[in-house]
Amino acid sequence: MKLLVNGDEREVDVEDDMPLLWVLRDELGLKGTKYGCGIAQCGACTVHMDGVAVRSCQVAAATAEGTDVVTIEGLGMPEALHAVQDAWIEHQVAQCGYCQSGQIMQAAALLEMHPEPSDDVIDIVMSGNLCRCGTYPRIRAAVKTAATKLQET
Amino acid sequence: MGWKIKTATATLLVTSLALAAFAEGENVTINPPAEGSISRQDGFEAWQRIYEVTSHPRCSNCHVGADNIPMWSGPSYGVAGPHGMNINAGESRIGAEYLQCSACHTYREGDNDMPHAAPQVATNWRLPPVEAEWFGKSGVEICNQLRDPDRNGGRDFNEIAGHLDHDLILHWAWNPGGGREPAPFSLQEHVNDVLAWGVAGYPCENDE
Ligand code: FES
Ligand code: FES
Repeated sequence: MKLLVNGDEREVDVEDDMPLLWVLRDELGLKGTKYGCGIAQCGACTVHMDGVAVRSCQVAAATAEGTDVVTIEGLGMPEALHAVQDAWIEHQVAQCGYCQSGQIMQAAALLEMHPEPSDDVIDIVMSGNLCRCGTYPRIRAAVKTAATKLQET
Repeated sequence: MGWKIKTATATLLVTSLALAAFAEGENVTINPPAEGSISRQDGFEAWQRIYEVTSHPRCSNCHVGADNIPMWSGPSYGVAGPHGMNINAGESRIGAEYLQCSACHTYREGDNDMPHAAPQVATNWRLPPVEAEWFGKSGVEICNQLRDPDRNGGRDFNEIAGHLDHDLILHWAWNPGGGREPAPFSLQEHVNDVLAWGVAGYPCENDE
């Protein structure tokens, strides 16, 4: 089947029900998206499908066919970071880093919906993304900084 | 090869017979009892079985009120509480304002077999409309809601049965998988009870 990932059309030979996360990591070598639980409990595998945040461990490859999939590798480039990535560096959000690509993808989707999110909105949207290192206060601060950056551009 | 064709023909025959038998509904038979054939007492007994379904966690956990927060309750959860992860489905009841229900409750054809994973069906997961608040409500409250066209989507008993026939999230309640307790009775028995209750004149406990 053909998948559109980070703007590139990619041909993959996989079963229809293979989780998108497996396709991204094992077939396409995009290792930025992480496996945490495989059962929609942790958010580490969050990517965008047609601009909406989804847990890629729960999406069958066949369901992703025909959609626009964006992973952390496609969100921004080292020379042109997404505002969320920029804010993440500024706040030095990451501890071990394992959950962070999922956090960043979820935060980017959040700011598409809520350009000026309140603490409550941040807590509702981001609570499905677990961080065993407890970086939550820095995540909240960085989301606010990213919101300001996006408003300025 | 020969037997394959024969099997295919036999399958076709069986399928068309089945289609004839199920003409009223696609997944269940919708065959209301004759008018006047169900006493109010029998109708009320049907209602009590309906209430066992509507108050079961597989149904009531999503039939929540205006806070738009689904519940986690039932034998597999221990203490009842709000859906983990601070989930709020918003006024859209599909999570469009925050995190879409379908971020985790993704499109799936086939059974749910994984314990603790998000239940999934072949349609967008969502909460029912707020008018149909069932969680923690008494039988008499739910009975009056379900017979009120202003609060049941403008449906009579046949249309409620048709809704049960078509909505895949409702079907999931009887086949939840992952170690979850299914809703009581069967989808067909529940449809039969809805039809009997309607034919009996929608009796509720507060009727004199
Ligand atoms: S790996 Fe997908 S939600 Fe945990
Ligand atoms: S930074 Fe370690 S899990 Fe989040």
